[in-house]
Amino acid sequence: MNEFEYKLKAAERMARSGGMSRRDFVQLAVAAGLTIPAATALFSKSAAANPVKGGTLRLGMEGGSASDSLDPRTYADSVMIAASLACMNGLIEFDNAGNPTGELIESWEVKPGAAEWILNVRKGVTFSNGKALDADDILYSIAIHRGEDTKSPAKGILSAIKEIKKVNDHQISVSLEGGNADFISLLGDYHLVVVPKDFTDWQKPIGTGAYTLESFEPGVRLVYKARGDYWKAGRGNFDGVEIRNIQDQAARTAALQSGEVDAVNRLDARTVNLLMKDKNLNIVRTKGTGNRYCFVSRVTDSPFDNKDLRLALKWGIDREKIIESVYSGFAVPGNDHTLDSFNPYYNSNMPQRVYDADKAAFHFKKSGISGPIELQTSEGAWNTAVDCAVLYQESLKKAGIELSVKKVSADGYWDNIWLKQPFCAVYWGRRPTADQVFTQVYGSASDWNDSNWRMPEFDKIVAEARIELDETKRKELYGTCQEMIAEDGGMVCFAITDYLDGYSTKLQGAEPHARYDMNDNRIAEKGWFA
Amino acid sequence: MLRLITTRVVLGILTLLAVSVLIFAATEILPGDVASAVLGQGATPETLAAFREELGLNRPAYVRYLEWFFGAIQGDFGVAMTNKRDIITSMTPRLENTFFLAGYAALIAVPLSVSLGIIAAINEGKAVDKVANVISLAAISVPEFFIAYLLIIIFAVNLDWFPSLSTVFADMTFAKKLHVTALPAFTLTLLVAAHMLRMTRSSVLSIMSQPYIEMAFLKGLSRTRVVFHHALPNAAAPIIAVIALNLAYLIVGVVVIEVVFVYPGVGQFMVDGVTKRDLPVVQACGLVFAAAFIILNTIADVLGVLVNPRLRKPR
Repeated sequence: MNEFEYKLKAAERMARSGGMSRRDFVQLAVAAGLTIPAATALFSKSAAANPVKGGTLRLGMEGGSASDSLDPRTYADSVMIAASLACMNGLIEFDNAGNPTGELIESWEVKPGAAEWILNVRKGVTFSNGKALDADDILYSIAIHRGEDTKSPAKGILSAIKEIKKVNDHQISVSLEGGNADFISLLGDYHLVVVPKDFTDWQKPIGTGAYTLESFEPGVRLVYKARGDYWKAGRGNFDGVEIRNIQDQAARTAALQSGEVDAVNRLDARTVNLLMKDKNLNIVRTKGTGNRYCFVSRVTDSPFDNKDLRLALKWGIDREKIIESVYSGFAVPGNDHTLDSFNPYYNSNMPQRVYDADKAAFHFKKSGISGPIELQTSEGAWNTAVDCAVLYQESLKKAGIELSVKKVSADGYWDNIWLKQPFCAVYWGRRPTADQVFTQVYGSASDWNDSNWRMPEFDKIVAEARIELDETKRKELYGTCQEMIAEDGGMVCFAITDYLDGYSTKLQGAEPHARYDMNDNRIAEKGWFA
Repeated sequence: MLRLITTRVVLGILTLLAVSVLIFAATEILPGDVASAVLGQGATPETLAAFREELGLNRPAYVRYLEWFFGAIQGDFGVAMTNKRDIITSMTPRLENTFFLAGYAALIAVPLSVSLGIIAAINEGKAVDKVANVISLAAISVPEFFIAYLLIIIFAVNLDWFPSLSTVFADMTFAKKLHVTALPAFTLTLLVAAHMLRMTRSSVLSIMSQPYIEMAFLKGLSRTRVVFHHALPNAAAPIIAVIALNLAYLIVGVVVIEVVFVYPGVGQFMVDGVTKRDLPVVQACGLVFAAAFIILNTIADVLGVLVNPRLRKPR
């Protein structure tokens, strides 16, 4: 192959993923020696590539362990989320922009006040054991996450349900304790996957997904084979799927490069630039939807009860420098709250806080506090938390603020440090809705309100927005919430990372998704081999 | 001699008992508790309380120790707290994998290093000796993951002779298993060979300065014959001890290699257990590791007695 042919192949790939216009493509193809009609035909073929059936997809993923189980009440990380979606379906799916669309709940109706909901169960879907899906299965799959003695992490988000009952075989009515316009998005939580009524044998899951489970060695691999005749058109294209657990970043990269797997998640930001040069690889970057990295102070503990000190700490962090040196630019700066810009309610009118040593020094002086401020950090918070803290220390020093960085044990970090120490490193994951972010991270009633910033007026606005069905008004209310947190709260949220996935170029359907990496952990369902 | 061996075995069993108490105590004092580690950031006080109740964490430690110990000696380690799978069933295939890789590496490393050690001793101070020394020292001086990544880049990514993922599955043929695990086996060989080589060389050489060796030389025997017939039998005990130590290392100390090569051994199983505070898993792994260590050392002691002419026939 000569240089032009390489470029042409790359261009074909771009055309297929929608990254290149017909005009650009044809120009390049003509330069490579093709006639105009031939080039136009090639573009149409690439751009309209229909999913093709066949092949075995091999995924190499981080985020699993030997203690994994298919019981949805135990899911906590990527491998089991992807594993469950290969053989089961959720209630709600999200499109690539992050809007809820129907999955096993096909459609829904809401009454004013957002407290009464009607859910329509999809018809004509069968489980892998042959049973047809009906409302009872959905009710059971929700019920296992509710009740006194469940240990499901989804218990909290379902606690708003006052009553949920069957109307008929394909309709469910829900009434909530209070209105919540985001209720449908909450049903998209990854723990809420559907199994037949009274199902309990989690070692042999029965689901409505595209594949059935063949074998499962926790922490090693999961093997699936296609069920055939998947109910979603154009999806579930592989004959088989294999999910390999590869915890080590370098091992994952090597496996992708040597072609032993077709796709990997969580590439190393420090080396991804080199991988982008590899013509056999397709690197997909999802900007700023990953982990939110923060240094959190408890506003009820001295000296952080001083608002000027908190402002000094927010102005005194060099976000750009941390992103550049620790994340090689693969992150976006945080604006001192954990909502990301993909969220429809993100306040883009609020100016992005940037490093300003003078402002930091001004507020520090005004606070009247002297002496070093102690920050507790650990690899247990996230793997680069110590590096970030050290850079933070440097940028504060220029503002005349002395930060003593105390590195603590990674073991038991979330038990002993988080929620207990006055100033420590914390990361937050993405939450599906703005309401969840504001209720769980900053709400007065939340056990996880790690800055201990509990404001009745803030709670009032969140509650008002929750039942507001007018989008413009809602956006305004949530915008105010973000301003309040960034101005007064105890959180220095300085970076939101990108997701970096790596794919072999023959794997199609690898698009960035607003929710999670690997096309919302559904690449097994959405992808195909060209 | 029989008494000596019996004493060794009894001591081994007593050590194992003591270790079992230590393991249990150590897992008790780990920071944090299993309920909050398993449920993670998603935990609420009610779910935590429900989970603790379910796991029986409310009962006193000595009751749980006795239950655990008597279960363990009958081969029952209970079920994992996190995914409710039977620990023995989950651990056995991983343990087999660990033994497979350790055996593979040992079969290359032990003959290689002992023979190179003897060759080095015979040719003390000559070029062969120096080369063997330099290479073996270089191999133990770099961290194990470095060797591992180096081998992956050369033999998996560039030359494509071996896969970079060494995961073995039950449905693989024996030859296929040998092929996929070649890189970790070579890495381990490089790691343990140096220690054994140098120990062999120096124990042979220390015997070589004894009066009866000089006597043998004075009789006009060749250096090779002196080394094999006079020096080696007397130098065997420390060599066996160091081999046992390295075999034990191959079984219990290869977590890093398992991670880099994605090899489903028991080390990764234990690390997962520790991070999730899955105490029964950690305890089971700890006990198995301790047993492997103690058994190998006891065998080494017994063999050391058997091969040593003076210990074999006490006056």
